[in-house]
Amino acid sequence: MTVYSFYIFDRHTECIYTKTWLPQTSSTSDGPSSGGGGGGGQQQQHGPPGTSTSTSTTTGSGSGSGNTTMQLRASSADDAKLIFGTVFSLRNMVRKLGGDDDAFVAFRTAHYKLHYYETASSLRLVMLTDTGTPSMRNVLHQVYINLWVEYVVKNPLSPVEHKRGVGVKNELFEMALDQFIRGLM
Amino acid sequence: MAHLGPGKTASSKEQTGLRYPSNGKTIYHRPLNRTKTAELSQSSFAYLFSEMVTYAQRRVTGIQELEKRLNVQGHPIGLKLLDLLLMREPPRTQTRPLTIIALLHFIKINLWTHLFGRQADRLEKSSNPDTPDEYMIVDNEPVVNAYISVPREMSQLNCAAFVAGIIEGVCDGAMFPARVTAHSVGGKEEGEMWPGKTVFLVKFQPEILEREALLGKS
Amino acid sequence: MASSKASRLGEEYVWRTRMDKVNAELVVLTYGAMVAQLCKDFDSDYVKVNQQLDKMGYNIGLRLIEDYLAKSNTFKRCSNFRETAEMIAKVGFKIFLNITPTITNWTSDGKQFSLVFDENPFADFVELPDDGRAQDELWYSNILCGVLRGALEMVQMQVEAKFVSDVLRGNDTTEMRISLIRYIDDELPPEDD
Repeated sequence: MTVYSFYIFDRHTECIYTKTWLPQTSSTSDGPSSGGGGGGGQQQQHGPPGTSTSTSTTTGSGSGSGNTTMQLRASSADDAKLIFGTVFSLRNMVRKLGGDDDAFVAFRTAHYKLHYYETASSLRLVMLTDTGTPSMRNVLHQVYINLWVEYVVKNPLSPVEHKRGVGVKNELFEMALDQFIRGLM
Repeated sequence: MAHLGPGKTASSKEQTGLRYPSNGKTIYHRPLNRTKTAELSQSSFAYLFSEMVTYAQRRVTGIQELEKRLNVQGHPIGLKLLDLLLMREPPRTQTRPLTIIALLHFIKINLWTHLFGRQADRLEKSSNPDTPDEYMIVDNEPVVNAYISVPREMSQLNCAAFVAGIIEGVCDGAMFPARVTAHSVGGKEEGEMWPGKTVFLVKFQPEILEREALLGKS
Repeated sequence: MASSKASRLGEEYVWRTRMDKVNAELVVLTYGAMVAQLCKDFDSDYVKVNQQLDKMGYNIGLRLIEDYLAKSNTFKRCSNFRETAEMIAKVGFKIFLNITPTITNWTSDGKQFSLVFDENPFADFVELPDDGRAQDELWYSNILCGVLRGALEMVQMQVEAKFVSDVLRGNDTTEMRISLIRYIDDELPPEDD
């Protein structure tokens, strides 16, 4: 399993947190876990949106034709906007077709899988992984209840609302998130 | 107990203009020990404390002033707890502490256990001969800091200043006037067992040491 | 997942097993210290104190709802306001303050109800100042109104909450009135440039 990136959007539709995990260069660490994914070393070349800022390092050894387009991609802020627009439309579409009880959970492209989790308070968590990763719904739920609530919501020094992401990027939250996600990979 | 505003003491019911519910739900009808062991969620405390810190932050210019304000908020709580906790002691030990050591033990054991469900971790006397008036109460993991992640630019801040205020209130109430401040001493290194370790520095006023010395002689 | 009806056993379980606890008196005295500080800062202008308490409560509500959703494992919104009332009284108050206020006095349109507090932990130890005004002007527990307003706004309900009686004022009950103003729509992302 490889996690590429993670986004949090608040109820005002603003992206208040972004984190990308660099594709691992050594195949030993992500080899066994993503064994079923196929493609092995190839896979890291096909980073999804959000890893765009870090792809310069992999281009040297790159063979994928997709890399050129990726480098042309605009900043990660635009990535976030794009992602939100997409998941928001999908979520609305799913509800329209399947009723309010239906929920948009994930979609998959040839290169990545996008996982979506929305709370009743309109906090939206988005995670991009490789295509072989099973449902991350529970993982996102854990991030919400154990990390978001404990380290951001309850932190007195973090503001109540997070305009421009203020207060989300605190040490405890970042450390715990990184540890938790790396533990999965 | 939470009389609002200074100088207002509980006068007897007959003399006040206060109205009371007819069903007897007043502080005079309820046993003071009713909530002795009652519990509330730590979250409720965390949120109240959050707002206290936020409110204090809006009206200060620096970290020192913020800590001072938190200290001031804790102070009346200490004064009240001293009375409340002593009242709950068995009659034999109901007297207020009369020596520095007895007072500090009262804080480390009674106060801490009541508020946080465990004793403070350590009690120390300053080893520096120049500051015989300084004592330290160590808490490895203060409950009030449980959810606080201090940003780098505020690294001096320790919100347990609120607890320092409570301690100060207890000291003042027991006639041992002191200044109490909270300091983070936990290292940031990997593998540090208690990154949130906090020392409450209790600095007694000089006359307290003089008094103690005199009492010691007699 | 929480079922639509709040079950007493479930809330007791959440309260007992999922909530970290602290001594109630720490919370109560801390709240008392806050109110006292506000009375001082606002020079005993109790109307302003009420407002400030409501504002602080609102901020707490915005945070607390996340905790509520996480702890109660709620994914779905309530299907109507009556269900919301049940969840507030039986789950919300239970897991945060370990009390269960009574729901009563519904209006026929189902948009207004009262919570009657048999117990109010915040008010333990409290007697309002005997200055001839506090008992007429100060709503000591007003922070709770703000909490409900903030928490419900996060789940897209705009409500008005206010106390209408308080034992601290000499009334026989403590009662809060909650009115649904409207359901709030999803916010939309800004139009792209």
